[in-house]
Amino acid sequence: MYDNILIPTDGSKAAENAVDQAIDVAAKYGATVHALYVVDVDATSYSLGTEQVDRIRQGNLDEMTEVKEHADEATGYVATVAAAHGVDVEEHVRAGEPARAIRKFVEENDIDLVVMGSHGRSGLKRVILGSVTEKVLRRTRLPVLVVDVRGESAVEE
Amino acid sequence: MIPLQAEALDISFKLLPAIIVFLMMASFLVIGYVFKVADTEGMWVAGRGIGNIENGMAIGANWMSAASYLGLAGLVALAGFYGLAFIVGWTTGYFVLLIFLAAQMRRFGKYTAPDFVGDRFNSPTARALAAFTTLLIAYVYSVGQARGMGLVGQYVFGLDIVPMIVVMMTITVGYLALSGMLGATKNMAVQYVILIVAFLAGVYVVGFTGGYSTVLPQLEYGALIEELGRQFSAPFLGANTYYVWVATAFSLIFGTCGLPHVLVRFYTVQNERTARWSCVWGLFFILLLYWAAPAMAAFGVDLYAQVNGISPAAVFSGEQAMSGAEGDVIVVLAAQFATLPRWFVGLVAAGAMAAAIATTAGLFITASSAVAHDIYTELVNPEATQRQQVLIGRATIVGIGALVTVTAFNPPALIGELVAYAFSLAGTVLFPMFFLGLWWENTNRQGALAGMSVGLLLWIGSVVNSVLPNYVGALATIAGDGGALIPVYAQYVPPIGAALVGTPLVFLVTIAVSIVTPEPPMETKKMVRQCHSPEPMGQQQTAADVVSDSNAPADD
Repeated sequence: MYDNILIPTDGSKAAENAVDQAIDVAAKYGATVHALYVVDVDATSYSLGTEQVDRIRQGNLDEMTEVKEHADEATGYVATVAAAHGVDVEEHVRAGEPARAIRKFVEENDIDLVVMGSHGRSGLKRVILGSVTEKVLRRTRLPVLVVDVRGESAVEE
Repeated sequence: MIPLQAEALDISFKLLPAIIVFLMMASFLVIGYVFKVADTEGMWVAGRGIGNIENGMAIGANWMSAASYLGLAGLVALAGFYGLAFIVGWTTGYFVLLIFLAAQMRRFGKYTAPDFVGDRFNSPTARALAAFTTLLIAYVYSVGQARGMGLVGQYVFGLDIVPMIVVMMTITVGYLALSGMLGATKNMAVQYVILIVAFLAGVYVVGFTGGYSTVLPQLEYGALIEELGRQFSAPFLGANTYYVWVATAFSLIFGTCGLPHVLVRFYTVQNERTARWSCVWGLFFILLLYWAAPAMAAFGVDLYAQVNGISPAAVFSGEQAMSGAEGDVIVVLAAQFATLPRWFVGLVAAGAMAAAIATTAGLFITASSAVAHDIYTELVNPEATQRQQVLIGRATIVGIGALVTVTAFNPPALIGELVAYAFSLAGTVLFPMFFLGLWWENTNRQGALAGMSVGLLLWIGSVVNSVLPNYVGALATIAGDGGALIPVYAQYVPPIGAALVGTPLVFLVTIAVSIVTPEPPMETKKMVRQCHSPEPMGQQQTAADVVSDSNAPADD
């Protein structure tokens, strides 16, 4: 049923939380897992300065050691878990606005399931930070499995 | 105290200038938006670097603030020969950058100024000191911009200065939010073109209609100097001694090289060659304005005297003397006095706004990275996700925007002076770290920390000694008539020229401490050597990469 499962990750706990579920599904169907880290251009321009965005635009991610390290770490986590379960895995890095980059990746790579974590932000935090998961949900026609970071309890208290 | 309002300025709502300013702002937003939504996902195409000329224009716009566009001519108008120290200082700095720092910084390959200091000296404390200094500079510098925008906004929209500052700063922060940080940077080339066209048009038209000049106002204004009185023809009078002139020029030269928002433009260009050439182009684009500024100042002073029916000498002293606020808008005033059409004066005013907005954007971007990257991600929460960095970055911009706005309302005198002092701060604290860090591999952490602390103390001491007595009653009593707590210190370490004593002292302290303490690790030394290697570095390499590659065990 599923051949290519996408796990977008930003290296946060919320994202890593979704990995187990995704690998479990992938193992059942013998699917390939794609771990995707998106270098958020907004974040880069706020934290490293807009000049660094130009660097990324030029394709010079290799010279931005910290950014690359972070990306490798995030996708590496997925790869390690996948390897432990004998699941095929590919690691990818893209740059751009996360929700758009994920949508584009989905179109180009025949993805048929997206598994992603959610921080479960609400109120002001959601307005300021937005929810990447929500945008992906709205903008793709694929099944999306959302794993809430707050875990076990089934309903919001 | 400098009065807030420029009395001679015609403050009322003017339709055509308002339309010009509105169209200009709208075009910034459109350009910013286009770059914001431009396809950033498929950007793994190598080789689309920023060219020399575009980067040079951005360097120019980023650098030339309201202080350059309005204040420089104002300074020359009010202080005469002393004002030339600013023209010399603010341009010569780029030579030092070109020869000693630009290409080497590019080879080192870090992201921000505090990043360089932190990684070169392996010290979080040094990084924190540099980040704090960066933030302080961005803050005091932006206040000057807010004031400049407020003054010019008054001419166009006719509001009081306080609501005008609020409106202009809200527009600037909103512009950063709407067009995005990237859009704001891309706009700088456009803003440069607007500001230089407006300024040069102003100089040429005022010079021509006033009968002062024809083709080269940059030289022809010389004919006015005899008439303009002693501030122009007989320099070094009163408090502006020869020593202060040299100290000021020195501070401004090395301060320019230490300013984080200037340096950041060299980290990212494609290669060292581009770094060098964009420095050259940047300097040329800056000079286009600086050559013309003294001419504008001379015309402005002469016109001021004519309009008020006084002798040129009376412009500088006496009851009808030009006020500080009027000096600040001399460029717009000169166009107004020359009875040029309103839309034309509006154009000159719009150029000032373009200058202020470009610089404020550059400063706010540097401030946000000092907080979001250097302080938050590197020191407070190393696990920070990209989303958290966005949140911190945005909060920084809103926070510093609000702080700058509130500060700009009231004590502009103290803050206005602090802008110039920011240069001696950068020159004493940051420049020696960049220079020694890049040019002497044995500079170590202990040396850097000792040097930065001494520099910071010397600068704070100088401000407390000479500036605070003007504002704090208790200190004024101690200081007495001299206006300084320790007159000798004030004479040789004036806050505006503190770097003349400070920079060599910081160099000495850093070198001495580095010699008596253990040498830095071999890896750091190799990084420094790599910055000067004659071998061209690949486009995708940094000094750190090259070093770690050569150290890697041969396992493949």
